[in-house]
Amino acid sequence: MSVKKFLSMTLIVLLLLSLTACNHQMGILNPKGIIASEERKLFFDALALMLIVVIPVIIMSLVFVYHYQVSHRVKDYKPNWSHNLYLEIIWWTIPCIIILVLAIITWKKSHELDPFQPIPAYKEPPMLIQVIALPWKWLFIYPKQNIATVNYLEIPVNQQVEYWFTTDNVPMSSFFVPQLGSQIYTMTGMRTRLHLVAKNIGVYEGMNTQYNGNGFAGMRFQAHVVDPAEMQRWVTKVKASSNHLTNQTYHQLLNPSFSEPPKFFAGTPDDLFNHVFMLYMMNTGPNHPRENTNKFHQE
Amino acid sequence: MLQELLLGKLTWADIPFENPFAMGAGVFMAIALVAILLLITFMRKWSYIWHEWVSSVDHKKIGIMYLILSMVMLLRGFLDALLMRGQQAISAGHAVGYLNPSHFAQIFSAHGVIMIFFVAMPFMFALINLAVPLQIGARDVAFPYLNSVSFWLTFVGAMLCNISLVVGDFAQTGWLAYPPLSELYYSPDSGVDYYIWSLQIAGAGTLLAGINFVVTIIKMRCKGMTLMKMPIFTWSALCSMILVALAFPVLTVTLGLLALDRYMDMHFFSDFSGGNVMLYVNLIWAWGHPEVYILILPAFGVFSEVVATFSQKRLFGYTSMVWALVVITFLAFIVWLHHFFTMGAGGDVNAFFGIMTMIISIPTGVKVFNWLFTMYKGRIILTTPMLWVTAFFTTFAIGGMTGVMMSVPPIDFQVHNSLFLIAHFHNVIIGGVLFGYFAGIIYWFPKVFGFHLDEKWGKRSFYCWVCGFYLAFMPLYIVGLNGFMRRTDHYDNVLYQPYLIAAAAGACLISIGILFQIIQLIVSIRKRKQFRDHTGDFWNARTLEWTVSSPAPIYNFAFLPTVSTIDQFWYDKERQIGEERIHPQDIHYQPIHMPKNTPLGFIIAIFSGVFGFALIWHMWLLVCIGLIGMIATVIARTFSTDTDYYIDAETVKATEIAHFKEGVHA
Amino acid sequence: MHNILVHDEHGHDSDGADVFGFWLYIMTDCVLFGTLFVAFLSLTYPLMAGPSLKDYIDLSQVLAETFFLLTSNLTFFIAILYLNKNKIFSAQLWLAITFLLGVGFVYLEIHEFVHMAHEGFRWNVSGHISAFFTLVGTHGLHVSFGLLWILTMIIQLPFIKTSQIRTRRMTYLGLFWNFLDIVWIFLFTIVYLTGAI
Repeated sequence: MSVKKFLSMTLIVLLLLSLTACNHQMGILNPKGIIASEERKLFFDALALMLIVVIPVIIMSLVFVYHYQVSHRVKDYKPNWSHNLYLEIIWWTIPCIIILVLAIITWKKSHELDPFQPIPAYKEPPMLIQVIALPWKWLFIYPKQNIATVNYLEIPVNQQVEYWFTTDNVPMSSFFVPQLGSQIYTMTGMRTRLHLVAKNIGVYEGMNTQYNGNGFAGMRFQAHVVDPAEMQRWVTKVKASSNHLTNQTYHQLLNPSFSEPPKFFAGTPDDLFNHVFMLYMMNTGPNHPRENTNKFHQE
Repeated sequence: MLQELLLGKLTWADIPFENPFAMGAGVFMAIALVAILLLITFMRKWSYIWHEWVSSVDHKKIGIMYLILSMVMLLRGFLDALLMRGQQAISAGHAVGYLNPSHFAQIFSAHGVIMIFFVAMPFMFALINLAVPLQIGARDVAFPYLNSVSFWLTFVGAMLCNISLVVGDFAQTGWLAYPPLSELYYSPDSGVDYYIWSLQIAGAGTLLAGINFVVTIIKMRCKGMTLMKMPIFTWSALCSMILVALAFPVLTVTLGLLALDRYMDMHFFSDFSGGNVMLYVNLIWAWGHPEVYILILPAFGVFSEVVATFSQKRLFGYTSMVWALVVITFLAFIVWLHHFFTMGAGGDVNAFFGIMTMIISIPTGVKVFNWLFTMYKGRIILTTPMLWVTAFFTTFAIGGMTGVMMSVPPIDFQVHNSLFLIAHFHNVIIGGVLFGYFAGIIYWFPKVFGFHLDEKWGKRSFYCWVCGFYLAFMPLYIVGLNGFMRRTDHYDNVLYQPYLIAAAAGACLISIGILFQIIQLIVSIRKRKQFRDHTGDFWNARTLEWTVSSPAPIYNFAFLPTVSTIDQFWYDKERQIGEERIHPQDIHYQPIHMPKNTPLGFIIAIFSGVFGFALIWHMWLLVCIGLIGMIATVIARTFSTDTDYYIDAETVKATEIAHFKEGVHA
Repeated sequence: MHNILVHDEHGHDSDGADVFGFWLYIMTDCVLFGTLFVAFLSLTYPLMAGPSLKDYIDLSQVLAETFFLLTSNLTFFIAILYLNKNKIFSAQLWLAITFLLGVGFVYLEIHEFVHMAHEGFRWNVSGHISAFFTLVGTHGLHVSFGLLWILTMIIQLPFIKTSQIRTRRMTYLGLFWNFLDIVWIFLFTIVYLTGAI
């Protein structure tokens, strides 16, 4: 018995510790964007709805097991009582109602928070950033500003940003800045999209969530949310640099590398994003488009 | 040229001498194997093992072999888990841990594959083999020879997976080998080929076993046992096996197409030349989601049996229970897309699959309430199987809750691929499937081996397992919500580290639980005379398997039983208290027709193993030998006429008298 | 694998269970082909780069293949009729004719494949072509397997003692052979006819 008590005490202490120690929340619990806030709310709504059933179940299971033990000699023993229409109606109906409520919410929110759809509250046309997943780094292209960065994202606060994603020379990846909002897969020959709005100025962790090879864990970047004026200054500064993203530099980026530090480029090849995804779409024959130039797998 | 024909791509460089973990494990396995072989030789047991086990077509023995396979693989899979937990606990900030990324990837892939295919699946087939034929009052399964083929194919699949430890490497792609990562361009090593062929071979075995048990349950029930009078475990096995028969062909095709991509430069799932990655993801989950239900349904069946037996009360709401099972079986096929909401399918599709997913929680919830009310006004005996059930309620409720939460697509956009997801599915697979199977095997252990397990060590291991489980997985929910992703071998942010250390401690606690289980087994074997089940009805249970001796005689039932109600055995016991049983001396027994043992199942499987291994290394000559060997063995079987025999009435009588006497003495 | 199912006679005198088992196997094979059809359709219909099946189909040859396969079913049926009358030799003879027709089918299919590959319609060019070769090829592989089975049956028939077992084994083979015909009809309409348009 003492072993049992000791173990359960340790357990409770550790759990409490872990719950209270979360001052530096980095995910959905500490949202900094419109979408993430909505998702956080939805998370707790669903949790509350589920607890309506889950808490009674846990309590009942413990109480029944304890109370009806043979050694407690409870008089009330009905060995053949196995059917009660009313009870069964109750526990078919209550979960049905809860799920109905949750289903309605789900239907509504799945459409509202669909990453492909623009956020309706923001009327002005979103700023576009094209993202290409490369072997263990992210390339961000700002087509309008005509600049590009590697593993560094800078976006204006309170402004809708539309992201386009595709992939080049790396397996399927998934773009995610937890504190800003949803994640989305990136695939070759395809264009996936995401709409996000950042609400607070700050620096947030961005990452790939889909395992895509040895450099997976280091395929991270920081998302800098700044005010629009600051953003403008940054763009001007990058544009002034002599470092251009040419086809040649792009090909260097196609070589696998680990935990790449941020890079900044002024000027990008015309329509690089579309060129990349069309390359994979239009390819035929046995060879991978990058097989002879930038082999992914290096001995 | 000749070398290429014989050895294919295989060279000395493929054996990882520089990797201490793989080599250590390999040397350990080799020593263990040699020790076992020597022991068998020394004890002159080769003939016994060959004739009584390898060649056996008896469902009880095949069940035991499945059980042993699953336990051995559990140790391997759990070691992988410990290595991963250790790596993540250490590898924060500047520390890099002891595993490099590609080794870490092999370990998490192997862990998933082994735990699902070579622990959970064989464990499930062990329980089904051990219990179902006896529960339905049959002498064997519908196709005993096929049953042996199924087992040995699973065995060979598992061995192939183990060989990858020392010859070549295992997949570095995760347990579902998503392309394009698993395509030749991104993974040119032998790892994915090991993955493909070990799963193809084991999968073929599973598919055959699935067909076998559907036929057994539909066609071989004893007289009077209509579908609605079947024990719930049999019902759950039927639903699960139907899922096997419908889902496993999809796996076969999916892996087959992946193999064509890798071997013949085809483009089903390549990320170029018109391949479609999303096709693979859809197909693999069209199998993968039913697979989860294939595993959990028999666990639900076990809970139903255990709760009713140890509450000494009829199962509450039998009809509800059956319908809940059927509804879950059906819904299992229309929820697969919830595994990839983040692929960008759009609001309508995501919402549909999300809602379908949460609907599954309704029948599941109903089942939980029925179990609870089976205990209500019962007389609960808190044996170890019942303890596992108690732990199941809380654990599964939490796992189910997080599952429903993730079925809401926008929530999934946040927690997909994170450790929150990992915590969720371990919550349901350990808390649901594994706890259920543990309860089941302790429950049926006396029936299978003739003696029960030690309760004291059983309880100790139970507490370690449950506490270890919560300690290992609750912190993962928290780091998952904080943006810690699965399959991460290194992280810079040290704030995560305390949680991951706690999780590693939990894993250690579980390993103590496993150690206690091993002790429990040893203690029980040593005390087997004292722990003997004399009556055949050790737990005062309800279903037909408890009407025969423990272990059951080879023919199961001297006379095929007849039933007229659910839980016929319990019903009889209630009404005949104190009544004398007829002495077997006065019964006129009949000879019993039984299938003969045959090693052909084993031989087919060995050829399939040769075939698989040769394919992995492109040894085309051996590929032909394996393939021709398999086909020739199958054809050879069709020419054999000597496939069955009769157990004479005298032998039956002697067996029954022995059992009767033992029961009287007890 | 299916032969295993068939040749399992352990004395549960339960023909019903055995035939039911074989039907279940056929059902799993249906799922297998269904999955392949899904793969084919999904890789064909959002039209991708690369050559299209339309330019390579020779419908007259496909028609000939269809003729061979359908006729082989008829001759198999005749074999069963003879077997029911216990005329083993005639049954063997008609099985042999079935076998030859089946060989003709496989020969034509291989011929067609080789021809296509020569013309540049190769399996490694695009996903669509891979799916075509795999789907049709899997059916062809099943037919080849069936041929091996027919051959075994021709040799085996005189050795089987009871007519019950003979009939049962022929029933399985017949089910299998018929099933392949049905799959072919789907292939013919979905792959070839719609592909040619």
